[in-house]
Amino acid sequence: MLDKIFTWWNGATIGALLSIKGSSNFVGEDEFGNRYFEARTNRGSYDGRKRRYVLYNGYADASKVPPDWHGWLHYTFEEPPTVQPFKVKPWEKPHVPNLTGTPLAYRPKGSILRGGERARATGDYEAWKPE
Amino acid sequence: MPKAKVNGKEIEFEPGLTVLQVAELAGEEIPRFCYHERLSIAGNCRMCLVEVKPGPPKPQASCALPAADGQEILTASPMVKKAREGVMEFLLINHPLDCPICDQGGECDLQDEAMGYGRDDSRYQENKRAVEEKYLGPLIKTVMTRCIQCTRCVRFAAEIAGAPEMGMIGRGEDAEITSYLETALTSELTGNLADICPVGALTHKPWAFNYRPWELRKTDSVDVMDALGSAIRVDARGPEVMRILPRVNEDINEEWISDKTRYVVDGLLRQRLDRPYIRQGGKLVEATWGQAFAAIAGRLRAAKPERVGLIAGDLQDAESMKAALDLFRSLGVANIDCRQDGSALGAGPRESWLFNTTIAGLEQADAVLLVGANPRREGALVNARLRKQWLRGKLQLGVIGEVADLSFEYSYLGAGAASLERLIGSDDGFAKTLNAASAPIFIVGAGVLARSDSGALLNLLGRAAQTFKVVRDDWNGWNVLHTAASRVGGLDLGFVPGPGGLSAPEMVQAANAGELDVLFLLGADEIDTEKLGDAFVVYLGTHGDAGAHRADVILPGAAYTEKPGLYVNTEGRVQLANRAVFPKGEAREDWAILRALSEAAGKRLPYDSLEQLRSRLMAEHPTFGRIDYVPGPTKAAGFDLSALGAPGAATEEPFRSPVSDYYLTNPIARASVTLAECSAMFSRRAPAIAAE
Repeated sequence: MLDKIFTWWNGATIGALLSIKGSSNFVGEDEFGNRYFEARTNRGSYDGRKRRYVLYNGYADASKVPPDWHGWLHYTFEEPPTVQPFKVKPWEKPHVPNLTGTPLAYRPKGSILRGGERARATGDYEAWKPE
Repeated sequence: MPKAKVNGKEIEFEPGLTVLQVAELAGEEIPRFCYHERLSIAGNCRMCLVEVKPGPPKPQASCALPAADGQEILTASPMVKKAREGVMEFLLINHPLDCPICDQGGECDLQDEAMGYGRDDSRYQENKRAVEEKYLGPLIKTVMTRCIQCTRCVRFAAEIAGAPEMGMIGRGEDAEITSYLETALTSELTGNLADICPVGALTHKPWAFNYRPWELRKTDSVDVMDALGSAIRVDARGPEVMRILPRVNEDINEEWISDKTRYVVDGLLRQRLDRPYIRQGGKLVEATWGQAFAAIAGRLRAAKPERVGLIAGDLQDAESMKAALDLFRSLGVANIDCRQDGSALGAGPRESWLFNTTIAGLEQADAVLLVGANPRREGALVNARLRKQWLRGKLQLGVIGEVADLSFEYSYLGAGAASLERLIGSDDGFAKTLNAASAPIFIVGAGVLARSDSGALLNLLGRAAQTFKVVRDDWNGWNVLHTAASRVGGLDLGFVPGPGGLSAPEMVQAANAGELDVLFLLGADEIDTEKLGDAFVVYLGTHGDAGAHRADVILPGAAYTEKPGLYVNTEGRVQLANRAVFPKGEAREDWAILRALSEAAGKRLPYDSLEQLRSRLMAEHPTFGRIDYVPGPTKAAGFDLSALGAPGAATEEPFRSPVSDYYLTNPIARASVTLAECSAMFSRRAPAIAAE
């Protein structure tokens, strides 16, 4: 709870929570536990459309929003995935948030952080080792 | 002298020149593929067409046309331009356009001349021909589709290398260059095939797809793989030597180099000593420079000077030998030797250990006696010179020693000292040839002088040389063919045992018997390092070879491409090598290591920079002050052969070449994978016997 009061990256802040809960209807929840809301009126809207909100489950990171909910949030789709779910093609992979900065981040071939052998580069030499 | 007009400009020329040479004298560039200054004239590429008046009203191949008095030569007329465009178009008909993946790209004669003299498009719509690759051994890669049939490689193999194993078969479109049996060329000069190939048909197999010529930093240097000191160009990219190519030096290597010189490159990257080591509890552990110096200085202080030894190896530059000499002399050490093979040379006049005739001087010789030398293995370019002179038909050769295929004919006179005695006593056969010769030459192999009876042999050779008047006031035919690049430099420095000092083999014996406390190996690996007893062995060198395995302290030094240095070749020619890349890891230049060690040992050497060291070296040894100078064969007055060696009885042991495996003679070469492959292929292969 202290996190919520003093930080702004662990989910919504108290102010956002109160104003979203007070002004919006709950629309649905995605597989990661992020919850989505839509304003009851278009008051405070920039363009006349009802504002749509997401309350992140845990750390606030926009890349945690899966593509179907992303589309709804950005008004690409009128109806939320709860009403009109995506047709998942067999070749589609499950959504993964941006892993940069985590241990699971992508390491290109040849990166020493990958733990493997570095490819040979100009100037490399084989040092003699006793025995 | 006859005169000709080249593009309206009148020029005088020596009789016997070709039209192409006359045009070059006049400063006109003539494009060519098959013509090469050092090979016979083939005249089959037709790229050098010019218009000649008087003459038939058609373009003439200038490389094969003798120039005549009053000739008018046009190299830029419309007829010539059209003819060259036509030739180039025909050449490109069957040449693949794979320059982007071709190793010759960027240094290709065909690329350059197509830009300069070709048309901008091709009218050829049909399929190009393709040619199967040929196997030419582990050094030369072939992409025969690129071949334009200039036959330079065929002529090089037949004329220079003396391995007539290549040729052209088929006619017209089906003409192919091949080695007939698809075997590796039996020559030490095969790498030059890739150099003379004007296109990318023959390239260097060990370096395939490794570099582009324009990325490389070129440094002129000197080779140390044999004692000839061939002129080389070291091409490096960043901290890595990518390739070694020959430079033109008419006095030594013309424009060829041997395969060991060229393909040792990968040896510079393997088995490198890159940090100091100290042996603790029987195991070598990494150490700092300070710890290593302290360990050595402690031992040097504790040991009596008579129980300290210094041996220099085969690849050392003169500066490092001078620094080591100064340091150990100041410590009172007399056990100093640069002749790890135990050679008897070193006492007497400087001429006694030089190749006095000089390599270029071999072209004046008319009789050569090879004593215990196999120049093909000990100095491939000396062999090429001998073959060059032999091909002119003016040279007769005799061999005492091993029977070997030297790429020229010789009379075999025997195997050992007895044969030499017999030669001195006889007055027919080869003795007659020698007596009649105006420029007789003795080439003495280093192996003859590195035996227990070398003193007697040297004396015998001196007598033989006197008998046949090999040394006259105006001709010096006394030649020692060394195998170690540092040997002449060491002998010139006086890097030999002081009064009461031990020679290198004696030092090894003394160490084995426990009579030596400290043995300092300055890059010396060719001694029996297994038998050094309990001596404290310090090894300063570049590669983890025999010396490093036995050492108690290892000091990592710089290889010949990694330090500027002076080397003296077997002719006595002082040559300056430049640094191409920096030493690996914590390794330093050898002289600087010795300078730092002197400080730790309490006998500070009086120079702080290489310049100071060099000026001291040149002040004390004036021969080092004249870079690239040799006296030459015509100044021999005052060289007394009778003082050589010591009279005695030579043993009956046959003379043997000191180089048993041409490809693996030094630590750098032994670290090279390419040369190991060559050694497995050539040196261990039984010689082919013709079924005649």
